Amino acid sequence: MMWQRLRELETIIAMAELELRRISHDPIELITRAVQPIFWIAIFGSVMARVRAFPSTGDYITFISPGVILQSSTFIALSYGIMLVFERESGVLKRLLSSPMPRSFIVIGRSLAGGLRASTQYIIVLIAAVAVGARITYDPLNLILGFLILIVASMGFTAMSILIASSLKTRERFMGIIGAITMPLFFASNALYPISVMPEAIQLVAYVNPLTYTVNALRALLVENSYAIGYDVAAIVLFDVISMLAALKLLHRIIE
Amino acid sequence: MEAFFTKAIEVRDLVKIYGGGVKALRGLSLSVEEGSIHAILGPNGAGKTTLIRILTTQLVPTSGSASIFGLDVVKRASEVRKLIGYVPQEVSLWTDLTGYENLLIYAKIYGIPPERRKDIVEEVLSMMELKEASNRLVKTYSGGMFRRLEIACALMAKPRLMILDEPTIGLDPSARKTVWEKILEYKKEYKTTVFFATHYMDEAEKYAGEVSLIVSGNVIETAPPDELRKKAGGDRVYLKLDKSIDGARDLLMKVEGLKIVRESGEEIEMIVNGALTVLPTIILALQSNGLQIKEIRIREATLDDAFIALTGKRIAEEEGNIRELISERKMIRRGA
Repeated sequence: MMWQRLRELETIIAMAELELRRISHDPIELITRAVQPIFWIAIFGSVMARVRAFPSTGDYITFISPGVILQSSTFIALSYGIMLVFERESGVLKRLLSSPMPRSFIVIGRSLAGGLRASTQYIIVLIAAVAVGARITYDPLNLILGFLILIVASMGFTAMSILIASSLKTRERFMGIIGAITMPLFFASNALYPISVMPEAIQLVAYVNPLTYTVNALRALLVENSYAIGYDVAAIVLFDVISMLAALKLLHRIIE
Repeated sequence: MEAFFTKAIEVRDLVKIYGGGVKALRGLSLSVEEGSIHAILGPNGAGKTTLIRILTTQLVPTSGSASIFGLDVVKRASEVRKLIGYVPQEVSLWTDLTGYENLLIYAKIYGIPPERRKDIVEEVLSMMELKEASNRLVKTYSGGMFRRLEIACALMAKPRLMILDEPTIGLDPSARKTVWEKILEYKKEYKTTVFFATHYMDEAEKYAGEVSLIVSGNVIETAPPDELRKKAGGDRVYLKLDKSIDGARDLLMKVEGLKIVRESGEEIEMIVNGALTVLPTIILALQSNGLQIKEIRIREATLDDAFIALTGKRIAEEEGNIRELISERKMIRRGA
């Protein structure tokens, strides 16, 4: 029985393997996705650093680097659901849903797949940030922890995307909604400025925004060289559990 | 004990009403013997795909029941999924991976143990004659290769029941033939039950042991193709004589099971039961009455004739019209 369970878990890994193999056949997409965040750091970051709009942030380019990584990875994770919309229109989802794999594994496996795809931005954007002068830690433990936390957080955003895909079902509606939620998710968080500068109402949004906790954790690890990330990780895990359970609950809708 | 008596598929009074109020199935019943090849044949929109999607546990019926080897498809869905190999009508593999990678990922999804994975992937690849192409991205495959790969994928877990939705839709005749040869080859080796939906009459006629004709969400007749053809009333015979058929009419009327459907001048068209055995008698009778036959044409009854005789409708030929078919399917899926 135990062995059987383990064997089943392998199907989750298979979903991740699917994604990595896809990326290896077409890596260019991920590189093009990284161009915009690099400009955010290089242009927006440099200009805002001169203005000194947010004195409490310290070196501004360093401050926004984790935020910009998140901007890029979150967008990729939130867009992942479009893949399921395509798979719904073709027969891929039908085949998956009638395979012996438990349906919860489709949600977990595809969330992991999307999380991995999104987290590739970590590497590219970090290198670019350092190149334009961001002071990021070189401690390998911090760097690896940061990467893992980003994968886990991106899994939650991917699950959210699967949830949206299951409910909306068409690419047009899906892309519309993703565009509509990415912007407030990014700006009502601590990615570009500290929460303390926001009006109170937006501060409230920032505190329930999972992006805030992810940026917090990455900033602690990469910029402040601190391991005080317990609350942030707890918030991210809670977000993952909620979004995956919701995605699982609505998955059946995608083919009806 | 149970396995001895249970059917591969047993469907009773199945009803499916989609969200938008579309009634796809209206109390459909059918049963399929283990080890047989069973076709469901019917025009576009008859409910074939809906039936298959319920059998493959994707959709829950509105009422009625369906079971696979005695297992209810709603209550014991996860067990059912372990027994079936399913090929949907649409593209069902990842086109941005190679053929080999697709099979490898699916081998993991189907829970094939790691030590047997490689062998099984190799086995189905060579059976479907795809070994050479296995390291190419699937998007470079031809339609026939793609279909063979999809079938290969469904075969890996050695299912007891294969469910194929329009297995050869959109393929050219030679690719269609190859696909069927491969399905039959596999069936022979593993004694799998094959259940397929089609709107190609010739495929149902040629490959199925039993055919269920489906119209508007109901089975109107299930029988072996030969018996179904008899429902058409007989074969069509066309005769052209050297003079007016007036003198021949009385002679022909005496032949048992013969019905004249059209006559004009020297030409006559009729439906004859068992034309191949009756025709010599007719020819002899005409000649001994001094009537010379200039031309004979016989067309054996097809399932389409039977379909027309039973329903008054044709089974539409969709060959040039797959796109429309698929977009219509989408509308149904969206519940429009």
